[in-house]
Amino acid sequence: MNTSLPARRKNLPKSVIFALFVIALFSVLAILAPVLSPNDPDERGFKNADLPPMWVHNAYSIGTVDHPLGTDMLGRDILSRYLYGVRTAMVLIVLAIPLTALLGTLIGMLSGFYNRKLDAFLVVIMDILQSLPGIMFTVAVILILRKMLPPTWFSGVLVLVTGYSVISWVSLARMVRAEVLRLKSMLFFEAAISLGATNKRIITRHLFPNFAHLVLVWVINNIPAIILLEAVLGYIGVNLSTSVSENEFTVVSWGGLFYTGRSTLTRNPMLLFVPALSLLLLSMSFVLIGDYYNRKHTQ
Amino acid sequence: MFQYILKKILRVVGILLGVVLVMYLLLYAIPGNPLNNYVNNAQRALSNYYVDDFVLKEVNRRFGLDLPLWHQITRYLIGDKIDGEFVCGIICGNLGPSISQRGRPIADILFTPPVGKSFWESQFGYSIRLVLLSSLIAVCLGVPLGIAGAKNYLKPYNRVQSVFMAGLVSIPNFVLGLLAVVIFASWLHVAKVIPDWDNFSDWLIPAFVLAAMPMANVARVMQTTLINTQNMDYVRTARAKGLPERQVVLVHIMRNALVPFIAYLGPTLVELFGGLFIIENLFSFPGFGREYWRAVLKLDYPMILGLTLFYAVGITVVNLIIEIASEMLDPRIKEQKEQVNP
Repeated sequence: MNTSLPARRKNLPKSVIFALFVIALFSVLAILAPVLSPNDPDERGFKNADLPPMWVHNAYSIGTVDHPLGTDMLGRDILSRYLYGVRTAMVLIVLAIPLTALLGTLIGMLSGFYNRKLDAFLVVIMDILQSLPGIMFTVAVILILRKMLPPTWFSGVLVLVTGYSVISWVSLARMVRAEVLRLKSMLFFEAAISLGATNKRIITRHLFPNFAHLVLVWVINNIPAIILLEAVLGYIGVNLSTSVSENEFTVVSWGGLFYTGRSTLTRNPMLLFVPALSLLLLSMSFVLIGDYYNRKHTQ
Repeated sequence: MFQYILKKILRVVGILLGVVLVMYLLLYAIPGNPLNNYVNNAQRALSNYYVDDFVLKEVNRRFGLDLPLWHQITRYLIGDKIDGEFVCGIICGNLGPSISQRGRPIADILFTPPVGKSFWESQFGYSIRLVLLSSLIAVCLGVPLGIAGAKNYLKPYNRVQSVFMAGLVSIPNFVLGLLAVVIFASWLHVAKVIPDWDNFSDWLIPAFVLAAMPMANVARVMQTTLINTQNMDYVRTARAKGLPERQVVLVHIMRNALVPFIAYLGPTLVELFGGLFIIENLFSFPGFGREYWRAVLKLDYPMILGLTLFYAVGITVVNLIIEIASEMLDPRIKEQKEQVNP
């Protein structure tokens, strides 16, 4: 009989618990990828090429325990490549989303808060960027940047992050700008100015806390976008590349699995099925969390 | 009123000009040149493939690829003297010749249907038909689903629906497309693997796949806006006045929920345009999304620019329609806007 417990515990709905569990699971997979993966993700061998998953035993091919999900057409282990792909996806989320959110917030605030001429200029830029086809713009940026950087895992990730951020800040900046303009016409803003508050104080104390929830909602809603973008680009082949040679990038990612998997759909569907399922689970978890947040704040 | 329209048109023209400039600079910065890429690839594939340097130079000159950047841009925008004859640029509506299709005019590739067919059989016509069909599906399925969700809010039906919609939002459309092909064509034999585009039933799978994500978005947005409006004071007042439920729903709830809903419809339709590139590629649909990919892979500058311009025009038109519609539905928006940007 512990009466000091609060009378009503806030229970998270099942969907949110499920979502948090999925995110935690993928984070653990990402961190432990080198420990968990049975083989080197880039190791090739033509004897092992096109092995089926280990539970397949038919007249044509027999799976082995060494390669639990089988291998692709170059003999690389799918499970290892998938696990390293989880790592790439998580790094993409951690790098791209905060960077884009920061860019969008800063530009939106600059545009809404400071002088009119700068605002007009920034609005024109936003209009132009918003009427460009996003995927094509990203592809062009990737094609430009990837010849400039040395071919390492990190620069591959960096190229994709840049390609994403360059175009995606616009939607956030627009939202922040509109909100700042709305807040500027409110009484507390006028009061702060007439009391002689500095710009820094107005921004940090009066503006930012009032639109921070918008940034949060944007972040939750846009986390799936970067993983989906990577998958789509990979599927089309403008990928962080799948081959290991001197002048190619060596990033292992889900998009790369899609790229190799689309031609071997009949031989080994795992190549497409496993990353597609995890993509669905991961981005759905973020969508569910976003839904929960919205529901809590509209009631 | 005249000034208002003029202002809007000027803004659209400015945006389109900016789009062309940004895209040209980007394309110019991509390493490689469409012609050299083509020749290199051909030489890699066929060991006895040989191109005379003179020919290469001549073709480069023909397409203006040897000019400095500013000259290329002005040639594309305004026009230039080519072989002693003035050829007008994009301001006369001349999109220029396609490099990868041996100088065939781009307007011809996009808008001219095969001989003896109607305009709707051209590449542009195909894409427009697909977009119209998909947006029709997205709105006609999404709105009722959203209303049903708002009606059963927090009941089991709504929970199932919202999880299902979250799933639809987060699945990439090419995976959905592949799944649809595998399930309906390979297993159930309902559809054909290689579609015949003269047959309407073969349009359904690409249209539904393209419409899936916008449809889920429409349903989610409709649901949240309806729930938000339901809790407004004027709805309670209308109920308290004793108005019949039908009038409350149609006049007080639906009409006011329509304004934020229409504002969200814009980005959703834009997303649908973006999905076109992937879906047309996947189903080898003869529209301009597929042409776009081919052009990007071959670095066909004029083609990419022309298609980007089309895309930009499409988006601007959609945004303009939505802006005007929401101003008509709710005059307060126009007032606010005049306060914000006079």
